[in-house]
Amino acid sequence: MTSYAFRLAIQSILHEKWINLLSMITIAVCFLIMAITALSVYNIDLATKTLPEKFSIMIYLKDNLSSEDSKNIINTVKKDTAIETVRFIPKDEAMKELKSFLKNTEYVLEGLDENPLPDSIEIKLKKEAVGPDSVKKLAERLKEIKGVSEVEYVEKFLSSLYSVKVGFKTLGIIFIIIMSVGIIFVCYSTVKILFYRRNKEIETYKLLGATKGFIRAPFIIEGSVIGFSGGLLSLIGIVSLYYTIILRLSLTIPLFKSIIFPAHIALFLPLAGVTLGITGAAIAIGRLRY
Amino acid sequence: MIQFQNVSKHYENQTALRNITFSIDKGDMVFINGPSGSGKTTLLKLIYLAEKHDEGNISIAGFEVEKLKESSIPLLRRNIGFVFQDFRLLDNRNVFENVALSLMIRGVSEKDLKTQVYESLKIVNLRHKADSSPDALSGGEQQRVVIARAVVTEPTIILADEPTGNIDPDLSAGIIRIFKDINAKGTTILIATHNRDLFRNSGKRVLKLDNGNLVGDEKG
Repeated sequence: MTSYAFRLAIQSILHEKWINLLSMITIAVCFLIMAITALSVYNIDLATKTLPEKFSIMIYLKDNLSSEDSKNIINTVKKDTAIETVRFIPKDEAMKELKSFLKNTEYVLEGLDENPLPDSIEIKLKKEAVGPDSVKKLAERLKEIKGVSEVEYVEKFLSSLYSVKVGFKTLGIIFIIIMSVGIIFVCYSTVKILFYRRNKEIETYKLLGATKGFIRAPFIIEGSVIGFSGGLLSLIGIVSLYYTIILRLSLTIPLFKSIIFPAHIALFLPLAGVTLGITGAAIAIGRLRY
Repeated sequence: MIQFQNVSKHYENQTALRNITFSIDKGDMVFINGPSGSGKTTLLKLIYLAEKHDEGNISIAGFEVEKLKESSIPLLRRNIGFVFQDFRLLDNRNVFENVALSLMIRGVSEKDLKTQVYESLKIVNLRHKADSSPDALSGGEQQRVVIARAVVTEPTIILADEPTGNIDPDLSAGIIRIFKDINAKGTTILIATHNRDLFRNSGKRVLKLDNGNLVGDEKG
């Protein structure tokens, strides 16, 4: 039965080649838009993943603490599971760093009788701990430690970075869902038209004793072939786009060099095409009645 | 083989069949005769389950229709070969492919399919037309293709609805002769027709319908 179903499906695809080709191209365009969206979201996500490594929190200590007190504070901080590294910066070293940072404008520090900078601790967090809420809570915990004068970190940057990341991801997912529904609809419409066109044939099949599976199978195969072809065309499209445009642009615009092409997402396209094609076809055939 | 027990079928404004009772044995050849609108086609439709009866009991080839699930309808229909007045041949397939349809549906292998199709085309004397399109055939030839499609699976019952309705009267006798040959091999045949010439002096059983009532059961 399977070989007959495949043969009937192929006969129908060739017989109705224009309507099928049009559907494949429409699906390919939808998938291409989906792939570009996924590529953008993937690269933005990748870029934001490297930022937590550069993120740090500064703890400023109160004046006149003994070295014993400082050690105690460092030990308390180290106990927190969210913390990756801890670096104690004595006030003298902080001044040196400031001077090297100021370089030619060092004169602004002239007239200072004594070093006004406090001892401080720079902490770096574990990747998974870098988030607006978790950092805020950690900062509050650190402030509670006896001997800590102030805790500083770039709160606004962190929250806006995560808003952008979450925003892009959400938009991307919504966009991909809309496009998927669109692809299902294209497959649905195509198979529905083919189904109506072959109504006489289907009625004859029913009278001759065909099971529902026998009648459905060619349409399901046809839907999956349309979806697969659309996915494959879009794969060719996105690979061509990447190698002809993005790689060429990266020669003149360095920013484009950092765009990565995720092969697994691209290979996913034909598979998604098959799944969405089958879904559309199954909905189009609906419930068969004898 | 076919049993009707007090069967009635109603449509919205009229009764198509009223309290019909009859029985047809295996290997019988029976004509159903009556004027247009007498219920001949409805009776055939009840046999192949294109319609459901409203009252009574029907048994076809061992299947009790009232207890039959929708998924079992194809199994029942595989016992039946159909010959329709309007042929119902597929224009986009040639004669061979049209006859092969019934076998494809049953999942018969390519090799067996070829042998069986050519054998049944031989019965109706159309083996040489295997590659022709149905459109290129005359009405009589198209009807013979339909008969070939009906017999190719060796069904236990053949239903024919006005099988000579769309063909030249001179060819009608030839079609009936083919049915008689098939019947001689043990296939039960039920032919609905308004044309009395088809069964006159045939010695075959004739069920007469008039306005949905069974008004006669006699020899032709």
